[in-house]
Amino acid sequence: MDNIKFNNSPKIKAKILKVIKSPYILVVPAFLFYLIFWAYPVLTAIYEVFTKVSTEGGGFTLNNIVALVNEVHFSEALVNSLVFAIVSIILQFILALLLALLINRKFKGSNLFLFFMMLPMAIPIASVGIIWNTGLTEFGWINSLLEVTGLQNILELVGLADGPIIWTTVSGMKAVMFLILVDTWTVLPSVMIIILAGLQNLNKEYQEVAMVFGATKRQTITDIVIPIIKPTIITALLLRIISGIQIWLLSVMIFGFNKVPFLVERIVYYTKFYYSDESADKLAFTYSVLVIIIVMTMAVLFLQANKKSERSMNNG
Amino acid sequence: MGENNIQINKTKKAIKSTIFYMFIVFVAFAFIIPLIYLTTTSFSSLIEVSDYPRQMFPSFSHNVEFSYDETYERYVLARENNKGEYVILNFGDEKNLSKYLEKNFNVFLEEDELLEIMLPAKETGEPIKVKLYKNIIANYIKFFETFDGVGEAFVNSVRAAIYTIILSLGIGGGLGYALAKTDIKGKQAIGVGALIVRMFPTIAISVSAAVMLIKFGMFDSMYGLAVIYAIPNIGLTAWITKGIFMNVNKELEEASLVFGATKIKTFYKITFPLVLPAFAASSMYAFITAWNDTAVALLLTTNNKTLSLVLYEAIGGVNSIHYAAAGSILLILPAAFFTFYLRKYINQLWG
Repeated sequence: MDNIKFNNSPKIKAKILKVIKSPYILVVPAFLFYLIFWAYPVLTAIYEVFTKVSTEGGGFTLNNIVALVNEVHFSEALVNSLVFAIVSIILQFILALLLALLINRKFKGSNLFLFFMMLPMAIPIASVGIIWNTGLTEFGWINSLLEVTGLQNILELVGLADGPIIWTTVSGMKAVMFLILVDTWTVLPSVMIIILAGLQNLNKEYQEVAMVFGATKRQTITDIVIPIIKPTIITALLLRIISGIQIWLLSVMIFGFNKVPFLVERIVYYTKFYYSDESADKLAFTYSVLVIIIVMTMAVLFLQANKKSERSMNNG
Repeated sequence: MGENNIQINKTKKAIKSTIFYMFIVFVAFAFIIPLIYLTTTSFSSLIEVSDYPRQMFPSFSHNVEFSYDETYERYVLARENNKGEYVILNFGDEKNLSKYLEKNFNVFLEEDELLEIMLPAKETGEPIKVKLYKNIIANYIKFFETFDGVGEAFVNSVRAAIYTIILSLGIGGGLGYALAKTDIKGKQAIGVGALIVRMFPTIAISVSAAVMLIKFGMFDSMYGLAVIYAIPNIGLTAWITKGIFMNVNKELEEASLVFGATKIKTFYKITFPLVLPAFAASSMYAFITAWNDTAVALLLTTNNKTLSLVLYEAIGGVNSIHYAAAGSILLILPAAFFTFYLRKYINQLWG
């Protein structure tokens, strides 16, 4: 029946076919999805930041931003998040590059080694939290390891420890540094593997040519290897720094809420611990928008720096 | 002279490679030690978890000593600790001790079985030493019993992951194809958009997403979670599949068309098999996003928890950390499986 109908009205058929065959039909679902589930909540969050609570009539206000700045843990959370993101990415990048350069060759058991190295990156953060939570108690596995290996004696000898160290009472910047180490354990392999992948795609001849022309090993690495694998590295680092800004779960699972504050930790805290408290919601929204701004700024800066250096490299 | 030099060079080489391997072993060990301890904890009984220093590798049994206390007419239980000393832990009749062994030792013995073991101590008056074998998967079973709704949470995690995969592949795959194979306008804008959503901090829109999902009736449901997980993954899928679609050999497709295959047949027989790896990789990324997330699930659900959320909440539990460790292993296994599978594609993805 339908076919006959179409045959009778070729114009309609052509029109329908045109719509179905239009390549834009493939774009529409994505467009609608992001409009509803991404743009809408983003705009709501921004709207919430600049409006008063409903009991005050809801008009435009900047008070939420003032409240954010005055929040007890605001400056600490901001500093902690930035320090965490920046220090961890520098540490991870340097270590990963060194490791990748070192093991960028086939050796007996290299596959097995890579397998072991990759294990931590496969672990969900909730499990990472449990691993370190069981490790950091007074009689946990970290102190056990120190004891068994005799490191505990050395620490006590130099006066760094007096009996088993109680790790969970570490606070402030020390705690942030500690979280950086835990984070490095988790993600170093993934950064290393991305760099390794870049190295293995690298044409060996470039390196050989450089060596023939008398470049030292170090020069070859800084002038040939790094620029070539740079696009890969930039993407990897960008994603790392962005997830670094969003750290909170590790901190909460190891130290608990309010102990080592981070920006996202504040969002979760004000959402989960204050039910139907509108001013707490406002704080959560304001923190959310701040996180969005920081992440997006970092992304833009990073990409622009990358573009610029590419351009200067091409010109030079 | 020459021979000597060769000898020296050989020795140098051997030393170098030994140092290299020592370094490699050290690094590998440093990375897996925390995991070894987690695995051991997941097989440990409560009493072993309170040992100090903790044992690094799991044990299968406990060495215990039963004796009989004439004055109070009860059995006394002592356990050999990791220093080789027998420490008295509990006393009572076979009923008490059977329960105690189950809870603290992961040793499951019926009362009469236990009595049979202990009775000689009473009859002879001499303490007897026995090896009691643990139920090695006791913590894994207890994990399901101790925490509420672990079974449902497991199903929920799988469901959220599947919905995320469907959304990401369905929407992102189409977008990737359009970007690679058609001449639509605004490709660059779409590309930038895909990059932005790929890096977007989803946790930061979770608070307003909660309000929105309540309106749509999707709050506290796996559909709601999948929608948020899909935000970065649709962009990622579009990006991955675009690259692969572009690399699909045009000549191969044209040849197929020339030989009389229809467009659809060409797609199924030529294009699809070639792009399958990209879709496999994309779906694994989607799976890992959904499976590993705790933060979004914490904000967007109340009763329908995911497995990782259950584990997050398990952390404060008294005397249940060894069950939580078992749960962690269960959470890790699928994620690890997919991550290793994904490794094959990493070259294509980042290169």
